[in-house]
This record gives sequence, C-alpha cells and structure tokens, in this order.
Amino acid sequence: MRKMKLASAILMTTAIAPVAHADGHLQIVDEPLELTIHMHWPRAQGYNEEYPVELAAREMTGIHLLDATSGKNTTDHNEAINLLLATGDLPDIVGGHRIKDAVNQYGPEGAFVPLNDLIEEHAPHIKAFFDERPDIAQAISSWDGNMYYIPYLPDGKFGRAYFIRQDWLDTLGLEQPQDVNELYDVLVAFRDNDPNGNGLKDEIPIFQRQWEELIRYVTLWDGRSSGSDTYHDFMDVDGQLQHPYATEGYRDGMAHLAKWYAEGLIDPEIFTRGSSSRDYLLSENLGGMTHDWFASTSGYNASLEGTVEGFNFVPYLPPASISGVRMEEHRRIPFKPDGWAISHTNENVVETIKYFDFFFTEEGRLLSNFGVEGDTWNMVDGEPVFTDEVLNGGIAVNTQMYEVGAQIQRGYWQDYRYEWQWTAEAAREGIELYDANDLLIDQFLGVAFNEDEQRVYDRNWTQIQTYMLERQQAWILGTGDIEADWDDYVAQLDRMGYNDVIAVMQAAYTRQYGN
Amino acid sequence: MADHTNRMTRIVDHLRANWQIYVLLAPTIIWFLVFLYRPMYGLQIAFKDYSVFRGIEGSPWIGFEHFHTLFGSDQFIRALKNTVIISMLTLVFGFPMPIILALMFNEVLNQTYKKTVQTVVYLPHFISTVIISGIVITAFSPSSGVVNTVLDWLGFDKIYFLTKPEWFRPIFIGSGIWQEAGFSSIVFLAAIAGVNPSLYESAVVDGASRWQMMWKITIPSIMPTIIIMLIIRIGNLLEVGFELIILLYQPATYQTADVVNTYIYRQGLQVGQYDLAAAAGLFNAVVAFVLVMTANTISKRYSRTSLW
Repeated sequence: MRKMKLASAILMTTAIAPVAHADGHLQIVDEPLELTIHMHWPRAQGYNEEYPVELAAREMTGIHLLDATSGKNTTDHNEAINLLLATGDLPDIVGGHRIKDAVNQYGPEGAFVPLNDLIEEHAPHIKAFFDERPDIAQAISSWDGNMYYIPYLPDGKFGRAYFIRQDWLDTLGLEQPQDVNELYDVLVAFRDNDPNGNGLKDEIPIFQRQWEELIRYVTLWDGRSSGSDTYHDFMDVDGQLQHPYATEGYRDGMAHLAKWYAEGLIDPEIFTRGSSSRDYLLSENLGGMTHDWFASTSGYNASLEGTVEGFNFVPYLPPASISGVRMEEHRRIPFKPDGWAISHTNENVVETIKYFDFFFTEEGRLLSNFGVEGDTWNMVDGEPVFTDEVLNGGIAVNTQMYEVGAQIQRGYWQDYRYEWQWTAEAAREGIELYDANDLLIDQFLGVAFNEDEQRVYDRNWTQIQTYMLERQQAWILGTGDIEADWDDYVAQLDRMGYNDVIAVMQAAYTRQYGN
Repeated sequence: MADHTNRMTRIVDHLRANWQIYVLLAPTIIWFLVFLYRPMYGLQIAFKDYSVFRGIEGSPWIGFEHFHTLFGSDQFIRALKNTVIISMLTLVFGFPMPIILALMFNEVLNQTYKKTVQTVVYLPHFISTVIISGIVITAFSPSSGVVNTVLDWLGFDKIYFLTKPEWFRPIFIGSGIWQEAGFSSIVFLAAIAGVNPSLYESAVVDGASRWQMMWKITIPSIMPTIIIMLIIRIGNLLEVGFELIILLYQPATYQTADVVNTYIYRQGLQVGQYDLAAAAGLFNAVVAFVLVMTANTISKRYSRTSLW
C-alpha cells in the first residue's frame, strides 16, 4: 500500500510537471526548505504530505511541509491544540480548525510570532487583501493589536434560507407566506388540512436539525438569536454590545414560539430528534418547513424524486416580521477562526510568511480552491472549471477537494466559483432571490480579550449561558411563562455577572475597533 | 552494624528466592506510578492560574481562588447536590439488583433456561454508551417510542420524557440498572458457587425449605462479598457515569441532571479552564476519599470485613 502511494505520488509529480510554473517566479527558496506543520481539522487529523496540492506547491515554491500534527487520535481540535501547546514542542506552522482563540491568547505570551511587520515587508498579496478589508484585520487581531494567524476566508454571502413544501402549498391552494401572520395561517393549514394526503394528522409544520435554529424564528417578532454565524453569540447594536437573549425582542419572540410549540406547529421532538430529522421528516413526507443550508437542503429535490410524489422543497423569502422587516439572520462569516500561524520555534519566519503569501497569489488561490490544474480543473475562457469526472464523480465535490488537499483549513481565500459550479439549480435560484432583496445584517466579528478580561469572561459567561439555555428550553416546552418570568430572569442575569461580561466585552471591542 | 548487615542479607535472600513474583508485580506497580501517581503532580494546577503554554511550573500560584469560584456558583452547588442524589439513588436501587438476580439464578433448576436468561441479561453490558443513549432516546420518544405507545394504549397522555426534569433521574438510573445489573451479578454467583454444599445437605436433612436455606445459608455466606462490593461502590459513589448523562441531558433537564463531572466538562474542558476543572475534580476526589474511609471504618467495626 505504501509503495502504491509512493508510486502514485511520483506519477502525480511527473504529471503536473508540465503545467507547473517553469519560470519559477513563485520560488521562495533556491534550495528545498522543509517546514513542519500541525494541521488538525474535522475532516482529517493531520497533513497529508502527498496531497497533489502539496506536491504542486512544493514544485512552485520550493517549500516542503512535513506533517507534525499533535493529537491525531482525537477529533477534538481544542484538545489537540492544547496538547500541542502543553508539550511545548511546537512545529514551525500551527494550523487547522478554530485556532484563533488559542493563537490570540498564547501569541502575546510568546508562543506565536506576530505577523503585522512580516506581512508589511514580505507578503504583498496578503497585505493587499487586508488593505481592502481592514475590518477583518482588526477582527482577527489579538488584544495587543497584533495579528497571529492568517485566516481561512470563506467566500459567498448566504448560508441558510427558509424552505417550504411548495407542493403542499399547491395542494392546499395557498400562496407562499409573505409575513409572520400569513406564515402562521400556512402552518395551521399544514397541521390541520392533511397536505400529505394520508388521512392522518401526522404533519410536522416546522422542523429543524439543530434545535438552536428554532430560536432563529424570533426574528419574525424583531428579536435576535445570535449576532454572528455561531449560535448564542453577542450582537453589535450601533457599537454597543448586547446579548440577544437579554433583549425584549427576544422575550416577545419566545412568547410566540412557545405558543406555536404548544399548538403543535413545531416538531414536538425538536430537542431530541437531532441531525437526522431533516432526512427522516422529508423522506417520510411529514415535514413542512425548515431553515437550513441552501445547497444541502435543495439537494432533497433530486434525492427524493420518485420517492415522495410531487416533492418540491423550495427556498422562499424570509416572511416579514411584525414590524415589516424581512431578515435573514444567518450569513457566512467573512473569516473563520481557522487558518495557520507561525510558532516561536520557527527559524525561517520570512520564508514561512512568503509561503503563506503564495496562497494569496492568483496561482496559489486557484491551487488551494480547485486543486491542480489539468488534474481536477481546466481554464475555460478565463474561468476555472472543474472536470466532468469531478462534477459527476458521484462523490461530493468538497470531499474530492479535501482528498487532493484543496479547501483544507490552511489560511486561504476561498473562491465562490468553486461552490457555485456544483450548487443545484434550485439553490442557485434561491440564492439569486435572496441576493435581489436586502436581507442581510452586519455581523459581530468577535473580540480578543486580555488576560484580565478573559478571566472575567470565563468565570461568568459559561454559567450565564447555561442559565439562558435552560430557561430558553423551559419556555419553549411550556414549563414557565416568559412574560411572567422575565423580570426575575433579567435580575438573575445581573446577579450572575451579565453586566461585568458586557463591560469587558465592550472594553475589548473599543480597543479593537475604535469607537 | 551486624544487625544491619543481617537484615540486608535477609532482604537479598528474600528477593533472590521470590524474584519471579516481583517481576510479575512490576507491571502493575509501573502502571500505578505512571497513570495514577505521576498525574497527581499536575493536581497543583487547581491552585494556579494555569496557562497551557507556560506550563505547570511557569503558571503563577493563586491559592484557593478556584475553590472560591466554585462554591460561589449556584450551578456548582446544584451539580454537587445532583451528584449526591443520583449516586445515592443508584446505590439504593442499583446495588441490590445484581444480588437479587444472582439469588434468582441460583434457584433456577433448568440449566438451559438459566444459561439463556443469564446471557440475555449480560448482553447490555457490552453495548457502548452511545448506543445505549440512542436506545433510550428512541424508547422514550413521544411519537414513535415504545413507552409512549404503551401509555397511549392505556389511555394516558404522551410524555416528552427527556425534556422533563422530574423524569431524568428515573430514566438514567433505570437504564443504568438495565445495562449493568446482569453483568454485576457474576461476582455474587461466583460467591454463591463457593458456599460449602454440606451446609445445604444438612439443612435438607433438617427439613429446611428453599426460602429458609436462602436466608439462613446463602445470604450469610456471601455477606463478606456483598460488603466488599458495597465499600468499593461507595468509593466510586461520586463517579457518576457522566458519559450517559452528557448524551441524554438537555438544558431543559440540567436542573436534575447536571452533575459535577458534566459541570467540569462544560465549564472546564469545553472552554479550556483546566485549572478550574482540576479544582472541581480534586474536590470530588476528596469527598469520595472521605466516603470510602468512613464506609470502611464502619464496616470494620460492625462486620469485621474491610478493604484494609
């Protein structure tokens, strides 16, 4: 097996040699330079030294990455990076999933190299990106004002959308609901009028794979469920940080959601059905609407064709809230806490930052997004187009990319053309519909704490959040009435140090983003 | 001096004569040193402001601050209370079950039937916790679960068990008994097998009934085993099987389900507060130590059976 791998690696190298850049304008070093890397992310615990993308990058830059990943036997990325730091034996590059908090906490302690000056002097392409997006440069910086990692920068704006069974609407002679009152009527009709036609009252009007996603519906009553693409996050209201679960819009929205739950408009098993609920409820012809990802949810139209007669699950515009606002609260965040950083043990700091910069050049971007040219894609009329084998390979395109070492969580700038090519037609129409309307809101991009602030936050926040979620579920389930409990709830938040947490967040926010 | 040399010689002779036994013992001692004693060095982070990068030595001492934080937290107190309640209930309901099972197996005369039932009750022990949680979630599901289907037949309302705080403990303890009672009964079956048969023979001659034989012979004969098992259980009292709790609980049931270990997991490990987690773990261990000492002393005084 090992020999096979080696043989195919050699074949790969020779196969890409002709298309590699013979002029060597991307060469960083004259003599091959080996750097070690920690790369821990959900799809793979480790960096495959034989990724075709790695082989091509070697060819172009002269830098070889050698796998030195810690904690390969755990899928918990947090544990992996803590293990790595605890051993004290850091590889040259530390990369992977959710490294932001770790590098911003331990960077100022000396574990990682600050990147600002290096970028200024040696990384013109990264510098050009940050000149364009100073907000991202601010958002990824640590409390000492330095950047310690180069993030993975996702492209594309939309993530989730509201989906509804258009065929059920048609059966019942209804239109897509345009506001929250119409939505209520549609859900009641789904519950009572047997749209699946089996004679049983078994329809589940609203279902969600993640119960947290249900809380998103408070936006229909002008509440908020999160300020970013992470659940239960703080939000930025004109420069003032607040937690959505301490606001009155949330209270009003939750009161209505509790009522909807009691009336049977929401999956009664919303808290325990879990990740297979979408699969199950759609294929059993039971689920009516959901709020979920464009691409994967649209996919059911193809996969259930013939199984569920007339199945047509379409994205539709967010219904207008009670004050008439159409809002899609979820959007893709412009940068991820994933990426890579340079550790303090690295003796080739300049070469490393130049290597990071390589992935922001045109060639490097294409390589990190689409794989090796001529192998997984070709340039057609100036556009990178995946080969037929990739698009119709029977395996999801992103999975194929992970296997060749593209789209993995190094610090790279995603190119949305990668995803658009394999997005189903129904989803593309939905994205265009959402794009034509002004639905998105600004996100809170997070703050970096200094040690004292971190302590206040750690001490109080986990407990407060636990309390918020306990109350949240209780209110939905009807053990407690949010309107009656609200004053006690707010008082309890105060007792638990909510205002202290907001104060340190606000201080960190002001330091990071100015006023 | 002569005395000293003498003792040395005796030790050397002893080692020479019994070296095989010491070699056999070595792996266990090494295991204890490496996995149980060496990590104790790390317990000091409970009294430090620990940073993974600075390491254990490099992190500053902060005294009892983490303990102050813990005892100032309603949620920790609640977790402690839940731990004690769940452990006590598990002990009260869970401990007698394997003994009862073993006694029942002992009375079964048909060997084929006995072996089949034993195998069936041992089986759940070998199922992983994740699968157990899946079975429990499915069994108690309001729409398709067997429990609610039966309730529905009998004309009761369906109950969404896993979101009801009052149902969490019965479900958790019940599934624990279901999983472990059969396998734990093996120890007691072995003890029963070791009872001297002549005792039963003479009892039969004296005209004792099976019921009397069980009360007067079987149970008193296996009492030392029962007490040793009980002391061991008390030592592990606060080690609630938190994997199953994590898989079964919801914010809605934290009120009765959150135990010290799940609290440590959420508060300490998930957010990387290892120092606070170590403090909570250390406290748990101290309480468990006191419990096992007490149980052992009481047992020594009243039944002359003890661990040491």
